Amino acid sequence: MRKKIKKNHEFFELSKFRRRFMLLVLLTLFFILFSRAFFLQGMQKDFLQKEGFERSNRNIKLYAYRGKIYDRNNQILAASETVRSITLEPNRVKFKNGDKKKLANLLGIKIKSLNKKLKTKKNHIYLKRKVDLEIASKILALQISGISTEKDYRRSYPDQEISAHVVGFAGNDGNGLEGVEYKKNDYLSGTQGYKTILIDRRGRVVDNLSEVRVPVDGKDVHLTIDKRLQHIAFQSLKKTINDSEAISGSAILIDSKTGEILTMVNYPSFNPNERMRKRSPFVKNRVITDAFEPGSTLKPISIAAALEKKVVSVNTKIDTGNGFYKVGRTQITDTKPHGIISVKEILQTSSNIGVTKIAEKLSKKYLWQTYSNFGIGNLTGVNFPGESKGVMRDYSLWKERDHFSASYGYSVSTTIAQLARAYTPFANKGEIKNLRLYKGDPTKIGQRVLSIKTSEAVLKIMESVTEEGGTAIQASIPGYRVAGKTGTARQFIKGVGYGKPGERKYNASFVGIAPASNPKFIMAITIEDPSKGSNYGGVVAGPIFRRVVSEALKIYSIPQDGIEIKAEIDNDKKEI
Amino acid sequence: MKLNLILFSLLIIFALVKINAHHLYRVNHHSLEIEKRKTIELKDEQNQLLIQESSKSGNGRISEYAKSKLKMNPPEKKQKRMVK
Repeated sequence: MRKKIKKNHEFFELSKFRRRFMLLVLLTLFFILFSRAFFLQGMQKDFLQKEGFERSNRNIKLYAYRGKIYDRNNQILAASETVRSITLEPNRVKFKNGDKKKLANLLGIKIKSLNKKLKTKKNHIYLKRKVDLEIASKILALQISGISTEKDYRRSYPDQEISAHVVGFAGNDGNGLEGVEYKKNDYLSGTQGYKTILIDRRGRVVDNLSEVRVPVDGKDVHLTIDKRLQHIAFQSLKKTINDSEAISGSAILIDSKTGEILTMVNYPSFNPNERMRKRSPFVKNRVITDAFEPGSTLKPISIAAALEKKVVSVNTKIDTGNGFYKVGRTQITDTKPHGIISVKEILQTSSNIGVTKIAEKLSKKYLWQTYSNFGIGNLTGVNFPGESKGVMRDYSLWKERDHFSASYGYSVSTTIAQLARAYTPFANKGEIKNLRLYKGDPTKIGQRVLSIKTSEAVLKIMESVTEEGGTAIQASIPGYRVAGKTGTARQFIKGVGYGKPGERKYNASFVGIAPASNPKFIMAITIEDPSKGSNYGGVVAGPIFRRVVSEALKIYSIPQDGIEIKAEIDNDKKEI
Repeated sequence: MKLNLILFSLLIIFALVKINAHHLYRVNHHSLEIEKRKTIELKDEQNQLLIQESSKSGNGRISEYAKSKLKMNPPEKKQKRMVK
């Protein structure tokens, strides 16, 4: 028994050592664990949490669709289409035989430039952005490791160069850079959304983790433009410019009753679907941005001012002499001597001397005020980027020469849009209308600038311009009464002035109203420097008016008011 | 003892129900995400078709087809007759 106790004692002695040893080992291990836990939880907490979240959580952007741009008949002028962006992970990329060349061909880049991209030190780069789906699928079919595609959106303009100046274009980032795309960018672009999601080990989305910001799609913009007429106007303008070897041309067609712009075209144009390497000089909408001396197209306003002031009547006879008239040092000429003619004939024959003699009866201030009331030197209300006010100096700065030259459209400059607006009082019984490009904009009540009697009288006189003996017979439309005025203005070139005879450059223009009995359309056209054939406004711009407005009258089912219907039938009988 | 056993069983059952409910939520959420993706794809397709429709119904294209394939041309002045 004693022995046993001893043994136990001995055992106890040993176990005490073991126990202490084991305790030490355990404490050491616990210390190691504690230190590790402290290190991980305390010192590497942020890093580990980030790594953990990256494995299970994803922050995703929710795309907000950019609004579409429609014409007045809900035809698309601009919309976003799905494309793919080709991405490259240079570290992972491996090419099989010939794949590199095929890839470069599909991307439309040189092998040299592809190699340069392959050498980049970044982990992820875009090989090419916004590639067509067809090309992207061909690239994916090559099965090159390290090359993948991402969904992207691209702005598409189905009307191409026809409506390019109105619609404008958006950049790679989706923000508008020109035209309506730029002006209405905030309205069109909407707000991107985002959310944090939880994914399982198979990559399936199983939960939304954080607050979701719902994407708000951009709103659609409806324009007053009529795509059908836009096409006709563009083709007519293009044909005229090519035939007359002119530099450029612009045209605008408006609804005279509401001021809505139905067409607004320029030629040369550009294709907004193609990315421009160099900014084309023909990108701006010259209907709105470019001011020029309107020439004789301003004469109806000068005559309206005189009729309103009652210094002349329609039948007042004025002696225009032998075609030469000197005011101070300025020599004013007509294309041919007209002798003694009435106010009506002054407009019909576009006599500069006649209008000057009428302007002599008016004060500078009154004439200036009338032009200003007709919108010369003021914005048209179209709300378009880069709109020019034109130039019309204050009457106090006018010299004697300016007083008279303004009456036949020199010394002031206007845009073609201002000119179209300036004719709205003749079509609306004396009320001027603001121009409108956006369908949602409220129609403003026109402001009276002329009496009904005067506006009707000037409209009647302007009808004679498109009749036999007038300067714009080419603008007449069979079956309809057309009023209008031509303009053939010398271009003022900086440093050169108006140039010597033979070297001069002209702007040929025409502004017309149809049908004259109950006006619906006003169209203003200008052609810059027509060098082949005639450079007269009636001859160059008149046919464009005829082609476009006759189609517009048909499309909008405007009844005929032409007094010449009978004459046409008689002519046809003779031909048969 | 019996009550403890019953409560323990209930605890286990509710825990399993909770896990199952959570699982079902995740499955449904995944389905919802798939539907949302389909919606976006359909919206993209709709946009694509609208653009195509607009391009193909363009006046330029129609007049080109009318002239080249259907031999349609606007009548000349001599061919026109005004009917009262």
